[in-house]
Amino acid sequence: MRFNQNSRKRYLAEVTQRYVSGRMDRRAFLRAGGKLGLGAGALGLGLGNRSGGFLSAAHAQGVEQDAEMMKWLAEAGKPFAGQTIRLATESTPPSNAINSFLKQNFIDATGINVEIEVLPLEQVLQKLTLDVASGLGTYDLYYIDQSWMAAFAGDVVDPRERYESAPDLAMPGYAMDDFLPALVDGISMYDGVMVGVPYDIPIFIQMYRKDVYDDLGLSVAATMEEYLANSQAIMEARGPEMYGTTGQMKSGHYSLECDWTCWLWGAGGSIFGPDGTFSGNDAEGLAAMEYWIKLKDTMPEGVTTWTWDGQGQAMGQGLAGQVLSWGEFFTGWDAPGSPTSGLYEAAVPPAASKALRTDTGFGEIPGVGHQGGSSLAVSRYAKSPDAAWLFAQWATSIDTQVLITALGGGTGPTRASVYDDPRIKANARPGIEGTTRHLDVVRETIANHMGSEPDLPEWAELSNDTIPVELGKFWAGDYDSPQEVLDVIKGKVDGIVQG
Amino acid sequence: MSAAYQSKSSRVLRALFGWTVVGVFFFPIYYWFSVAFRPESQIFTKPPLVFGWDFDVSSFEEVFGLDLGGEKTTSLAGGGDFFMTPYLIDTIIVAVGSTALVIVIATLASYALSRMRIRGQHHFVFWILSTRMMPPVAVAIPMFFIYKEIGLMDTHLGIILVHALMNLPLAVLLLKSFFDDIPQEIDEAALIDGASRWLIFRRIVLPMAIGGIAATAVLCFIFSWTEFLFVLTLTQTGLKTIPVVSSTFVTSTGTAWGKMAALGVGAMVPAFIFILLVQKNLVRGLTMGGLKQ
Repeated sequence: MRFNQNSRKRYLAEVTQRYVSGRMDRRAFLRAGGKLGLGAGALGLGLGNRSGGFLSAAHAQGVEQDAEMMKWLAEAGKPFAGQTIRLATESTPPSNAINSFLKQNFIDATGINVEIEVLPLEQVLQKLTLDVASGLGTYDLYYIDQSWMAAFAGDVVDPRERYESAPDLAMPGYAMDDFLPALVDGISMYDGVMVGVPYDIPIFIQMYRKDVYDDLGLSVAATMEEYLANSQAIMEARGPEMYGTTGQMKSGHYSLECDWTCWLWGAGGSIFGPDGTFSGNDAEGLAAMEYWIKLKDTMPEGVTTWTWDGQGQAMGQGLAGQVLSWGEFFTGWDAPGSPTSGLYEAAVPPAASKALRTDTGFGEIPGVGHQGGSSLAVSRYAKSPDAAWLFAQWATSIDTQVLITALGGGTGPTRASVYDDPRIKANARPGIEGTTRHLDVVRETIANHMGSEPDLPEWAELSNDTIPVELGKFWAGDYDSPQEVLDVIKGKVDGIVQG
Repeated sequence: MSAAYQSKSSRVLRALFGWTVVGVFFFPIYYWFSVAFRPESQIFTKPPLVFGWDFDVSSFEEVFGLDLGGEKTTSLAGGGDFFMTPYLIDTIIVAVGSTALVIVIATLASYALSRMRIRGQHHFVFWILSTRMMPPVAVAIPMFFIYKEIGLMDTHLGIILVHALMNLPLAVLLLKSFFDDIPQEIDEAALIDGASRWLIFRRIVLPMAIGGIAATAVLCFIFSWTEFLFVLTLTQTGLKTIPVVSSTFVTSTGTAWGKMAALGVGAMVPAFIFILLVQKNLVRGLTMGGLKQ
């Protein structure tokens, strides 16, 4: 069956509508999508008959991707057949999804073997640091969290240059300009170098229990003050069975620094001033700490031992009425079988109490929607850089991103076209597996509310150790006042930055 | 009457205290087991479900690739699964291999240190002990470079060797103390009868020290079974042991506690079997040296 552009779109819209309305089963939908070369993404609509969880590797097998892309990939990959490329990555929805359909959709197509090592984030950092320090090329591809970007900028190949300089390896229709511009700036660019291709984008959005809000007559917070007031109102009306909100405030963990920056930026502060010195201890920084102290009164005691894991579990159990945190939690909370299935709604983050600061240092971009995105980069020391580049393009192509998003991970796509894809739109329904109904909010947050941490080589150390350790001591009661801990952090941060 | 009553009550109190202590130590193990055998939805509840949870084997099914008739679910956001059986096999290979290697080398070395006199022997023993004083992380990074160069990176042999290296000093010192407890007069009597050193070692001393060897083997096995840092640093995708692979249950969207508990419970079984196999000698070994000549 051959389609022109119009009939293709109409056909896709029709089958999607029939599927969503239950007039077509998953298998038939996949077959129909496959005729358009869209079989892969259609899986996301495949709610199937399972009662909980996400699609497994077994389900992902047999998935078809865009025929043209796969044909090109098979041709381009021939010279590298038999080579092995390695990637160390955090266990994130995109990485898990790729892992689950990797064999059939990339390895078998190209003959290039791919080994993906899945680790917790801090262990990925350790592995990459060792690889870069040794220059041994243990890994061909790097999963680079935005907070490490500057540290690894000199150890990767700029994907734009790679795309231009090797036309025979440049995937047709890859559309580098399809990546959301704010993300390219926030998670991929350092000092004029594109460190990697935007890979995933966990970002802080506002998530609240609509049933609780309706019951208490609350409105979605438009300002930070309203957000605090809502939290206090929930605590007062429902506590201690239900708390106002939760946190990810484990001492010494990066998650604590993420929470802090959100409140800091929300108070109109910044981590660094234009002169490159720590400015988190100024009046706005202090106001942020005071806000945080009030907010913590509406959180469970355990938050000081939780990372994003504990926070996600608590919210998924319905322990609190609202939270400003990673949007990628939303899908899991909304899934069938979850105690909160269908109960959460998403909204953009509240506006900051004061105007967001623009005079910052090291490219810091204040914004309440703290982003924790990552990019996929080809290592400068890679043993098989061409094969790795082919994989990087496939993993971040439009078709693969649709598949990843549709598989139900919940992470926002990094490409604009994926948000508009009908297969993704069709899954924007409550209480289903792999819902995408929060993605419009994610997109809006990326465009208008996103906050990005500063880019400097020392930031990995500062954000993963120095700052969260001292903040952890503060919450443990080791400091007498917020000003004291902020001053200590200033001394340490400036000492490290200035060498 | 009163004395008898007090005696009975004190017995009851002692028993009560004893059971309380046992309960305190046993409770976390019980809870870990219960998490492994309950559905995901009952792991985090308010209040926590200590008893009365629904029995569910789906975590074991996913982690070990079994079909026990449970409900098929996958809790890994984005897809994929937590199939861990290959890593369990890796762990068994590494632990058994390194333990065997350590026992062979340490038995010979410790017998020599126990029976033969060399100049500066005390310094030598102290030097062996001192290798344990170095923080493992100080060794792990140089080992990474060396392993990469000589091709031992990401191999079973590489991890077996490094675990053997890690356990050897402890094993040598432990076994030396066991050999020291066997009277030298036995060796001397055998020497007078014309036996060689090797014959004495193999036919006389070794059988007498088998309890100590078993105890040492158990310790080496457990240390290898639970070692984290070297495996994390010196492996990629070729192999992984249980402690390292357990951390992969921690994902960006949450921790799969049920699956992690299932793996933990499953990982206890081989260690438990190993200890059962040497149990008869283990008790002897642990009490050896309790009485001195």
